Amino acid sequence: MLKKEETVLFKKHNIENYSKIKIEEIQNIKKINLRFDPNSKELKSITSKILDIIIPTIPNTYSEKEKQKIIWLGPNEWLIIDSEEKLDDDLLNKSLGDENASVTNISESKTILRISGKKTFSLLSKFLVLDLEKNLSNDHLCVQTIFLKVPILLVRNKNFDNIIEIDIFINRSHVNYIYNILIDGTKNLDF
Amino acid sequence: MFLINCPYCGERDQIEFTCGGEAHIIRPKNPPDLSDDQWADYLFMRKNIKGVQFERWNHSNGCRRWFNVVRNTATDEIIKIYNMGESSPTIKGNEPKTPSGEPKIGSGNISTTFEKK
Repeated sequence: MLKKEETVLFKKHNIENYSKIKIEEIQNIKKINLRFDPNSKELKSITSKILDIIIPTIPNTYSEKEKQKIIWLGPNEWLIIDSEEKLDDDLLNKSLGDENASVTNISESKTILRISGKKTFSLLSKFLVLDLEKNLSNDHLCVQTIFLKVPILLVRNKNFDNIIEIDIFINRSHVNYIYNILIDGTKNLDF
Repeated sequence: MFLINCPYCGERDQIEFTCGGEAHIIRPKNPPDLSDDQWADYLFMRKNIKGVQFERWNHSNGCRRWFNVVRNTATDEIIKIYNMGESSPTIKGNEPKTPSGEPKIGSGNISTTFEKK
């Protein structure tokens, strides 16, 4: 986990304008991995009823309602994000039963690095083998890829004041590695 | 390095994928009836064709789905991608070809044996 004073890049590097770039770790967010057979209408309806959000079936998209997000990870796998930590995963687990479904709380193993600013794509594209302009062209899109051998999930949040905001979901053990690489990457960005 | 069109995620770089070896290898129905050679043949013996090969690939750093790929191993040209469980498509012109159009003899396309004198 990052120390608090290390989380804000523009303070560390005396970058005065917020719109350039900012990296911070987002904490206290509940993350639940959900898997079930997508052909089962019953399981789908139970899940949608409890979560009160439509489960995304289009690859590399997510659905959102208030403080909750459901992110597509695969045809039978989703990641539920709950900023308010209100979601009861035990209830979801009991409701789905043992029939080809699993609910796993991965809040402790995964963390989120949030990058925002106009140079976000320029910074990330240094380390990715992905066309960000194509794959994360607008909000409600997400993409799973590899960041210098580390598997990551990128989620594009809603734009505020035309500032791109990307959440990087990574294993907690990789966060310092990625954070240090991102800081190195900012050094020769054309500010 | 080449691009692979994942059936779910779309076109992605090859480093996101893992090759799972030859496709369409059928598990014997009664393994205890097989001889050691037949069982070893099923377990270990794989083709290593210079030319069109049927392979299994996994999008290991993406959606983690398995799928089949028909790939020319000499040029990395991907001829067809199809789902697991589907039968192998018929591919015409299963000839080894190389980008430089080199002749078969001397390019490793024909295996030759040498007798010891």
